[in-house]
Amino acid sequence: MAAHTSRAFLSLGRINVPGLGLHKSVSRVTYSTGLSTDSSKATTGSPQKGGKKVLSKKYKREPGDPRTELMPVDQDWTAVYPVATPFIPDAIPLPVRMGCPVKGGAPPEKKGNLELIKIPNFLHLTPAAIKKHCEALKPFCTEWPSALDTDAKCDEHFPIKVETKSYVSAGPSIRNPAARIVHLSVKLSSLNLNDQARKKMLKLVGDRYCKDTDILTITADRCPLKQQNYDYAMYLLTVLYHESWKIEAWEAEKTVADMEEYSWEGSLSQENILDVLVRMKEAGEGEGEEVREQLLGRREVQEYKDSVTRLKNEGENESTMLQYKEAVKKVLKL
Amino acid sequence: MLSMYFNIHGGSQQQEAVAAESEPEPLSIFRTQENDPACQSEKHFGQYYTLPSAHVRTVFPHGLPMRYKQQVKTFNEACMMVRPPALEVISSLKKTDNSKPAVRYLFYGLKGSGKTMTLCHTIHFCYTQGWLVLHVPDAHLWVKNCKELLPSSFNSSRYDQPLQATEWLRNFRITNEPFLSKIKTKQRYVWTKRESTEEGSTLGELVDQGITRVKTSSDVVGAVMKELRLQSGQPESDFRLAVAVDGVNALWGRSTIRKMNNTAVDPEELTLVYNLRKLMKNDWTGGAIITTLAQTGAVYTSKYSYLPKELLGEKGFDSMDPFIPVSVPNYSEKEFESCYLYYMDRHWLQYPHSRTEDGKKELIFLSNRNPSMLERICGFH
Repeated sequence: MAAHTSRAFLSLGRINVPGLGLHKSVSRVTYSTGLSTDSSKATTGSPQKGGKKVLSKKYKREPGDPRTELMPVDQDWTAVYPVATPFIPDAIPLPVRMGCPVKGGAPPEKKGNLELIKIPNFLHLTPAAIKKHCEALKPFCTEWPSALDTDAKCDEHFPIKVETKSYVSAGPSIRNPAARIVHLSVKLSSLNLNDQARKKMLKLVGDRYCKDTDILTITADRCPLKQQNYDYAMYLLTVLYHESWKIEAWEAEKTVADMEEYSWEGSLSQENILDVLVRMKEAGEGEGEEVREQLLGRREVQEYKDSVTRLKNEGENESTMLQYKEAVKKVLKL
Repeated sequence: MLSMYFNIHGGSQQQEAVAAESEPEPLSIFRTQENDPACQSEKHFGQYYTLPSAHVRTVFPHGLPMRYKQQVKTFNEACMMVRPPALEVISSLKKTDNSKPAVRYLFYGLKGSGKTMTLCHTIHFCYTQGWLVLHVPDAHLWVKNCKELLPSSFNSSRYDQPLQATEWLRNFRITNEPFLSKIKTKQRYVWTKRESTEEGSTLGELVDQGITRVKTSSDVVGAVMKELRLQSGQPESDFRLAVAVDGVNALWGRSTIRKMNNTAVDPEELTLVYNLRKLMKNDWTGGAIITTLAQTGAVYTSKYSYLPKELLGEKGFDSMDPFIPVSVPNYSEKEFESCYLYYMDRHWLQYPHSRTEDGKKELIFLSNRNPSMLERICGFH
């Protein structure tokens, strides 16, 4: 054990050992192998030469093999590194190198490498260690409900997901102000909203809704405590839901410019196409509403309607333009 | 291809063999002798046909792109390539029914891909078929850089542009000489207390009135458009009307003209634009409306926009709807080959490096087969 500790001291480079001659011998040992060199004998020898009978010729034990040589391959690593400990080169059987490489050479080896000691290591958190932690925590846990075996079932029964972060650090205070933030996410399809309510909800919510995943995310961080923020987020969700179901008097004044999507019925495009078809030979069959209804029912007109709606809603690219062109050609019978 | 080129000048057996297998054009593989647009077909895709210089003077006093006009002057001939978009519209035009409302065609494509040239090709077809061509070379010219803006005498809320109107009337007269004496006005037009055009006078008189009396020229343009619109497609008139507008997105865009109190003028308030918009509607029969989008002269539009809805805007799209959009793409490989051979034939490609395969690949890379870029780059090669 003593030898172990002394070697530890050696590698740390910090010595608090009283005694003469050992300073020099220690600094030499840091950059060389553990074998004692002749120079140490020389220094210890010199007082002897001086004639003084120094009884305290420090017995310098030969440092043995590093512990890595003696470790079996299937050892229990959690016993070697049970807690967070700085990097010990002789206890870690890995040929790690770190630092700036010498010109034409490799980075310095792990022995006495300060860089490896400075950085944090997670050697105490290997999978085996984590497994042991889980086993230790198991008596305090309840079982996962067997009915919730797929993600879809979890979404169905628990549509609201609350995300919070907690922080642990060593410092003068254990509080972290970032721990108060609460993210509440819910899929709009799981809420009971009809068409008008959904459009109003989207207008109220704005950027907080992601169209691709259909998830509304409410982030609350205005209160100092996590619990307060959670309550506020739940309150916001409730209020949004109820408000989107209410219909105000001024909502009846919604104009075409406010519409989220293009609807072909009642648009200029419909007027135009009916006008054109009436002026073509179709005009001979009668006037008024029946003609319009009959024209609207035609297949080409339906195709035309689909192509215009697609063009306006999706934006224009080659495929929508081609579809529109084909539809117009068919309608105008070219 | 290269050996083909040298053989043209050599005049060997090979040349006749090649000529026999592909169309009766003894000169080269990129030209065709079929100069009548009505008889051109898919066989002539990628080949150049020559426009007779008389046609160029009459049909296109103001219609051709500037660089093409310079090219015509340099090469001493006006050669145009036969391309699929033009032939598509021409074949539709051949089948138009005089009793049906006018169909609207819209050429769209990237900058410099050949939309104006395609429009000119279609106009040439209409002219050779004897149609009356109402060609507005660049509608953008009417919404910007107006030196003289007069309040309209006809309608006080609108504005006249006498200079642009007179110039357009002059060019219209050059193109449609034969029709001017045949078409008679159906209405009486009063210009001032002393001047008026009686019912039954010829279109030529109306146009002359506009050219000589510059102040009334915008209203004359409106009157001409109205007359033609009312009369085409009627059983007693024997002409068909082709309305060709380049840069049609100017009609529904913004203008840079400002009134005296420094507020911007809405294009609708300009007489010329107002009348042209009326022509764009398909409520008349017996003809066709062929238009092109143009970003090049457009104001307040992004440099990279080229799609119809972007350039026309909501209002423009709804007014033009339903129309047939025809895409004009960059040159295909065959068309590029043809263009390259044409420039070589005209000795436009000077450096020997451009005759090599590497040079050709360089041209393809630099221009991305865009017609106008290719033309500019070949000027330096």
